[in-house]
Amino acid sequence: MSSWVIGMMLGVSIFLGSIAVMALIWAIKKGQFDDSEHFLNAVKFDGIDDLNDAYEKEQKVKELKEKKKENLQKKVYKPE
Amino acid sequence: MSDKIPCSHCHLEFSEDVMIRDGEHYFCCNGCQGVFHLLSNEGLDGFYDKLGNNKLAPPSKQYEDSSNFDSPAFYERFVTLNKDGFSEVSLVIEGIHCAACVWLNEKALTNMEGVIATNINYTNNKAKIVWDDDTLKLSKIIDMIRAIGYDAYPYDASLQEQKADKERKEYYTRIAVAVFATMNMMTIMVAQYAGYFSGISENIKHILNIGEWVLATPVLFYSGWPFIRGMYYGMKTKTVNMDTLVATGAILTYIYSIYITITRSGEAYFDSVTMIITFVLVGKFLEVLSKKSIADTLDIMNHHLPNDVKVVVDKKIITKNVNDVNVGEVVIINSGERVALDGEIIHGCGNFDESSLTGESEPIFKNVGENIISGTVSIDADVKYRVSKDFAHSTMSNIVALLENAMNNKPKIQQLANKLSEYFSEVILALSFITFIGWYIYSSNFEQSFMISIAVIVIACPCALALATPVATLVGLSIASKRGILFKEAAQLETMANADILLLDKTGTITKGRPEVVKEEIFLSFHKSLLYALLLNSKHPVAKGVEQYIFEDDLDPLELENFQNIPSQGLSAMYDGKMLAGGNAKLMRTIGVNVSSSSENSEFYFAYGGELLAKYELFDMPREDAKEAIEKIKKMGIEIIMLTGDHEKSAKKVAQIVGIEKYEYGLTPQDKAAFIEKLHENGKVSVMAGDGINDILALANSDIAIAMGNGSDIAIEVSDVVLLNDTFSSLHDSFKISKKTFTMIKENLALSFIYNGITIPLAMAGYIIPLIAAISMSISSLIVVGNSMRIKFGYKD
Repeated sequence: MSSWVIGMMLGVSIFLGSIAVMALIWAIKKGQFDDSEHFLNAVKFDGIDDLNDAYEKEQKVKELKEKKKENLQKKVYKPE
Repeated sequence: MSDKIPCSHCHLEFSEDVMIRDGEHYFCCNGCQGVFHLLSNEGLDGFYDKLGNNKLAPPSKQYEDSSNFDSPAFYERFVTLNKDGFSEVSLVIEGIHCAACVWLNEKALTNMEGVIATNINYTNNKAKIVWDDDTLKLSKIIDMIRAIGYDAYPYDASLQEQKADKERKEYYTRIAVAVFATMNMMTIMVAQYAGYFSGISENIKHILNIGEWVLATPVLFYSGWPFIRGMYYGMKTKTVNMDTLVATGAILTYIYSIYITITRSGEAYFDSVTMIITFVLVGKFLEVLSKKSIADTLDIMNHHLPNDVKVVVDKKIITKNVNDVNVGEVVIINSGERVALDGEIIHGCGNFDESSLTGESEPIFKNVGENIISGTVSIDADVKYRVSKDFAHSTMSNIVALLENAMNNKPKIQQLANKLSEYFSEVILALSFITFIGWYIYSSNFEQSFMISIAVIVIACPCALALATPVATLVGLSIASKRGILFKEAAQLETMANADILLLDKTGTITKGRPEVVKEEIFLSFHKSLLYALLLNSKHPVAKGVEQYIFEDDLDPLELENFQNIPSQGLSAMYDGKMLAGGNAKLMRTIGVNVSSSSENSEFYFAYGGELLAKYELFDMPREDAKEAIEKIKKMGIEIIMLTGDHEKSAKKVAQIVGIEKYEYGLTPQDKAAFIEKLHENGKVSVMAGDGINDILALANSDIAIAMGNGSDIAIEVSDVVLLNDTFSSLHDSFKISKKTFTMIKENLALSFIYNGITIPLAMAGYIIPLIAAISMSISSLIVVGNSMRIKFGYKD
């Protein structure tokens, strides 16, 4: 009985720990640690204005992307 | 006497009367004013709040035309298309001082119509920009960066940098897994050891073993993959290396432990599998951490040469690409421009800055008939010259080609531990095999003989041997970095410890790189403001030296008229109807003042209305701590030679002051490199310390290159070691630390051999009982780590 408890605890803790390691690896792969000063400095310039700007920019980029897609499709399907 | 007020854009302080007033703002120059208005119009003036107390460099005004950024050749080399059909380019942004600068650049670019994404790295100022090429051309983006007071040039990110980045990330993930498993393994081991001494039920021990097995598996096969791969390549080329030893040790221990776990007999050693891989992996990571990217260096170097030149064809001036200019064509150089091709002046004269070739900051006056060399900069000369060599054969292109060659073929001294481990691995594998044969003949029990032969390898498991170097160098590196000495690779500590010769550049390395007043003679007393006003107009290093010497807070620059800069003589101007003149003896004779020039230093005379008022003697002084440090380095048994592009007289003087017996003078960059090459042929290990563009070839050729922290970017890039605090005593420190580290490595290796000498015979005889194995393995590693920590005690601050 007691060996079963120990086995289960060992399994659970290794499992939980490995989730954390996976998250870390995911962050490394995404490039979140590429720029060590970004964390420290970029946060100083965060504000409502910047957030709004970022939102607007996102909308604009979305439009541009769609336009580009259409253009590309036109290029592909256009019978010459 | 007015108070100083800051410029509204760059925050540098000037007295009020020299500044441009604009409403409630003051500006130091038109450039700052322009940027300030642009930022307010774009709604980016929040930048100044974010800037805080930081100061900026005033924007320079002269730039080449940005239209060459739109040329197809440029796009082909630097611009890539991403999968959405947008263009991508990697730029290095110059002029970034602080986080607010990054914010401003990101903001300004992101606000542009057509820019999809801007990502500027806060650490190295490299930017990746994604934009829609149908809406916006790259030249417009460059123009925007320049308009807000910065400059940008492209670099090819696709080559080494991306590869190095990927390699680094791979190591991070491997280490993350290894460290996680090792830490968990340690907690399990506490239970195992406690159980070993005070009794543990067989069932629980079995469960703990299985837990260890689960943890050790990813470490061996994922984190340990570089070693397994290294062993595979080693087997293919029939060589035994450190990787072979680590991989065979770990794999055999792993298999042995699985056997123990399944048969429930004895002790499993999964912990030593994870420990050795984790430690050695971290050590290996330190070695690859900051390998220099050759492509980057060459990009910076090429940036030092213009792409286009102005050529005179049929009395008209046309712009041509440097590669299309033939020998014999006539090229025009204006003041401030960089020379791209070698040639001979046929019209005009003026001063040239040849510091990129000689290292000397003093301008050189050139007249019709003299040669001008690529890579030099015209200070005030507007000349026409006939091209004598095409671009590929011009001096600077030659240097770039030589540099590329030197960096690709850098000599590599094999590390002591690697050399030893080769023999060690072979001996251990042979001993294990002999043990197996011996025991099989003796007992004819296959299982028993096999287990004992594996135990030999497990015991010899080169924890201590593999740890000997990385731990010692790690401690060495951390001490060095605390003292402002940056080693770019761990292995360089060992190479440097074996150095025979130290080569020093003169100007900027031994000396401070700028002349200082060493003697002042006043013949008639005068108001210093008069001289100060005259000097303010010159950028000549001698004038700057005198200006710095006489500068006091209450000096008030007077209004001068009719100012003239007389090439290679000095300065003159009118004040109050009388002539002010400052310069060398030749100038004094020209204006009719009698002086006798006798000093070996640079002289600066000052006359007003035909009367000699003062004389200053200037000399490029060696750094304060140079003499002492050089003496100490000599005592270590290292030969010191000074290499300089300067003439004999000043080389001799500096050498005497700092106590160097051997010096070579009048050397070109290629001469310096050839000198080092000759040392190599004689089997010497050379360390070169330099600071300028003229030293880079020599730096790239030497075994260890040391750059002064305030040296040129390119010199720092090429170097292996950077002295951040720019002093000579840290040069001595770096030798001392590397020697000490190397001694420590040797001690560590000796310790690990002693350990192996005792335990391996025991293992071969079959006497290794689990307790001894477990304890001795940990102890040998602990001794090595503990011994390495001793380096620190010699360096208590």
